[in-house]
Amino acid sequence: MSAFVRLDGVRKQWSHTVAVGPLSLEIPRGEILVLLGPSGSGKTTVLRLLGGFETPDAGRIEVAGEDVTAVPPARRRCGMVFQHYALFPHLDVGENVAFGLPERGTSDPKVAEVLALVGLAGFERRRVQELSGGQQQRVALARALAPEPRVLLLDEPLSNLDPSLRERTRRELRALIKRVGITTMFVTHEQEEAFDLGDRVAVLHAGRLEQLATADELYEHPATLFVATFVGRANVLRGKTAQVFGAGPGQVLVVRPERLALADAGVPGVVRERRYTGAAAFYLVETELGDRLEVLARPEAARVGDRVYLEAVRVLAFPEERA
Amino acid sequence: MSARLGLAARAAFTLLLVWLVLYPILIVVRDAAEPDALAAFVSRPGEWRVLWASVWISVASVALAAAIGVPLAFLFEWLEFPGRKTLGSLIALPAVLPPFVGVIAFLFLYGESGFVARAIQRLFGLAQPPWRLQGAAAILLVHAYSMYVYFYLFTRAGLAKLDASLLEAAQALGAGRWETLRRVTLPLLRPSLTGAALLVFMTAVGSFSAPYVFGGGFRVMTTQIVATKLNGELPLAMVETVALALVAVLGFALLRRTEGDDILTALGKGTAPRRRPIRRAGVRTFATTAGWVLAVVLLLPHLTLVLVSLVPYGTWTTETLPPVLSLVNYQRLFSEAERLRPLVNSVWMAAASTVAAVALALGAGMLVGRRRPWQFRGPIELLLALPWALPGTVFALALLTTFSKHDPLMLRWVLVGTTVLLPLAYLVRNLPVTGRAVLAGYRQLDPALDEAAASLGAGRWATFRRVTLPLLKPALAAGGSLAFVAALGDFVTSIVLYTPDNRPISIEIMSSLRVSELGVAAGFGVILMVLSAAVLGVGVRR
Repeated sequence: MSAFVRLDGVRKQWSHTVAVGPLSLEIPRGEILVLLGPSGSGKTTVLRLLGGFETPDAGRIEVAGEDVTAVPPARRRCGMVFQHYALFPHLDVGENVAFGLPERGTSDPKVAEVLALVGLAGFERRRVQELSGGQQQRVALARALAPEPRVLLLDEPLSNLDPSLRERTRRELRALIKRVGITTMFVTHEQEEAFDLGDRVAVLHAGRLEQLATADELYEHPATLFVATFVGRANVLRGKTAQVFGAGPGQVLVVRPERLALADAGVPGVVRERRYTGAAAFYLVETELGDRLEVLARPEAARVGDRVYLEAVRVLAFPEERA
Repeated sequence: MSARLGLAARAAFTLLLVWLVLYPILIVVRDAAEPDALAAFVSRPGEWRVLWASVWISVASVALAAAIGVPLAFLFEWLEFPGRKTLGSLIALPAVLPPFVGVIAFLFLYGESGFVARAIQRLFGLAQPPWRLQGAAAILLVHAYSMYVYFYLFTRAGLAKLDASLLEAAQALGAGRWETLRRVTLPLLRPSLTGAALLVFMTAVGSFSAPYVFGGGFRVMTTQIVATKLNGELPLAMVETVALALVAVLGFALLRRTEGDDILTALGKGTAPRRRPIRRAGVRTFATTAGWVLAVVLLLPHLTLVLVSLVPYGTWTTETLPPVLSLVNYQRLFSEAERLRPLVNSVWMAAASTVAAVALALGAGMLVGRRRPWQFRGPIELLLALPWALPGTVFALALLTTFSKHDPLMLRWVLVGTTVLLPLAYLVRNLPVTGRAVLAGYRQLDPALDEAAASLGAGRWATFRRVTLPLLKPALAAGGSLAFVAALGDFVTSIVLYTPDNRPISIEIMSSLRVSELGVAAGFGVILMVLSAAVLGVGVRR
C-alpha cells in the first residue's frame, strides 16, 4: 500500500519536559486513521502539525508525494473540523460553507451539494447559533469538505455531543467519510470511538507512538503495557500475584476481565463487589495477597462474600518498566 | 508574518507608543526637577493645601458616589415595582452630559441666579439669593451627580452576574438576610465595587470643569496648574503636574491592588436572583414616587439646558422663569458660519482623533491581541492604559511642553499654536478607551476561527478582513463612540491647548458665559448633549 500522507521523524518540542515525537506514520489513500491517547499525549499536536497550524522542529510531512512541511495551512488543502466547530458566528450556514470556495458565493452549487451530503439540505439561510450541537458539527464537516481538500482532519468533533447522539453520529460519520473516500485523521481520547470509526488506530502516549494497528490487533496483541491497559479493561498484576499466574522474573501481567474465570480450583479469593450489566456481571475479587481483580462472568456465577477460585485463560506478559 | 518581522513590528509599535504616551511625561518630570520650582512648591503652604484638597475631594467623591449608586443598584436589580424598567434606564442619564456641560447645567439650575435659587428667593421674599454655589460642597455636589452612575452601573452588572444559588446556599446554611449580604453578596461584588471606585477616583482627581466653575477661592490641583501656567510660572506648573500625577498613580495602584480577580466570572454563569416585588402597598407607592422624584432630579439639568438655550439675549433678568422663549439662538447658530465654527472644529478633531485612536488600538490588537505570550505585550498594554491613570491636565501640560521646542533629533517639533496639537492630545487621552475595547474584543475571539479560515484557504489579510474585522465590529463601535464623545465634550485639555483656529465647543461655551450669552452657551450644551447621546446610542449597543 502506498502512503498518501507520510509523517517522517516529525518532532515538536514544547518545553524541556514536553515534546511530541520523533514520530513516523503513513496513511494510505482513503483510510481513516484514528489518533487515540489520553489528554496530553500529543495527539492534537500531531493533527495540527499535519494541518500546518504548528511547524515541526524536525522531520518531514508529505501529502500525495509533495513535501508540505513548510506550506502554510491556507495552502495545504487540509479540511479541518475543530473541537468546538469554530463556525463563523457572523455568517449564516451557507456563508460558512462557502467560505473556502473560490467564488465564495452561497449560490455555488457546491454549497447545496455538501449540505445535502451531511443531511442539512435547505439550511443555507439559518443562523449558526440556532443550530443544535449535532447540526453545528455537520455544518463544520460540510464547510471542511466543500473546497474538496486532500485530507480531512477531525479534532474530537463528537466530544460536545450527548452520549446517546454520539454513538449514532460516529456511525453516520464513518459512512459519510467512506462515501467521500477522503483520507482522514481523527483525534479522540475515547477507545470505543476510535474502534468504531477508524480503519486503523494509532495509540499515543507522552508524545510517542506506542502502536499503530487495527482495533482487534490492539486489543488482542498490545505492543506495550500502556496499550494493554489504555485499550480495553485490564487487570495489571505485579510481584507475587503475577508469579502465581505464571509470570517470569521482572514481568508484569495483564489479564482482561473476560479472560479470568471463576473456577473450582486456582487462585483463591473472596467476592467483594458485584456489578450487574445484564448479559453478564463484573465481580471484584480480592485475593489472599490483597490484590483486587475484575472478573467478567455469568450473572449468577457468584454472590458478594462467596469464596471463589480464579483461573486465567490468557495472560499478556510485559517487561516491568522502569519509571 | 515571519517571527522576526513580527518582533520588529511589535518593537516599532512599542516605541511609537512610548513617544506618544510616556515621552511627554518624562519631559515634564525632567523639567520639574528644577531646584527653584521645587523649592517654591515645597515652601508654599498653599501648594500642599491644594494637593490635599485634590486628595480629599476625590476620596469624598468616591464615598458619595458609592452611597448613592450602590443602594440604587440593589433597588433596581432586586426589587420589582411599577416603572422599574423605565426608571432604570433614565437613571444612567448623567452619563450623556459631558463634564463641562453638566457643570454649566448645574450653574443654571442651582447657581445663585439659577432656577432653584430664584424660586426660593421669590417664595420667601429674600433680598439676597439664598446660597452661593461655591467651594468644596458645590464641587462634591456635581461630582456626586455625575459619578454615582459608575457605581450604579458596575454594581448592577455585578449583581446581574450573581448566582442565586450562592445566596440560597448561604441561607440554607443558616445565614440571615443581613449576614448573607455581608458574608456572600458584598465579597462577591468586590471587583465591581473597586472597579467603580477606581473609575470615580480617577475621574475626580482629574476633574477640572467643576472646580474651575464652582471652586471660587477653593482650588484643587487641576485648576491650580492652569492658574500657575497662566501666571507664567511654568517650572512650578511642571512640579504641580508631577505632584498631581503621583497622587493619581498612587490612588490607581492602591485601588488596583484591592480589585482582585473577577471571581464571579471564574465560577461560571448562574441565574441571577429573581426580583422580589414590594408587597406592602404603602411601601410600593413610596418607592415608586421616590423613584420618579429621583428621575426628575436627574433630568433637571438636561431640561434646564434646553430651557436656557431658548432664552434670547437680554430678555431674562429678575423673573423666576424666563419670560421669552424662542429658537433665535439656534437660528443664529446655524445661519452664521462663524458661530458654527466651534462645532465644526470639535467634530473634525474628535473624528480625526477617534479614527487614529481606533487604528492604533487595532494595531495593538493585531500585534499582541491574541492569547499568546507575545514579547512586548505587557509594555504595549501598559502604555495604552497609562493615559487613563493620569489626569487630563497632566497630559495637556506634558504635550504643551514637549511640542513647544524644535529638536527633531529628540523627536520634538513645534506643534504649539498649530491645530494638530489638540487632536493629538484627544488621541492620547482616548487610547485607553479604544485600546481596552479592541483588546477585549480580540481576547474574546476564538483562535480556532482564524485556523478554520486558514484551513479553508484564507491568507492572513483575507482572514483579517473576512473574519476578524466583522467580529470586532461591536468592540470597535463601542470604543470608537466612547472616544468620540469624550473628545467632543473635552474641556480639560482644550483649555490648555486650543488655538484661535481650532476653538472647540467647550471653549466657546465658556466665552459665551463670560459675556453673559447664556442662551448661546446652553444651546451649544444642548447640541453637545444630543450629539453625545446619539453617538453613544448608535455605538454602544449590546
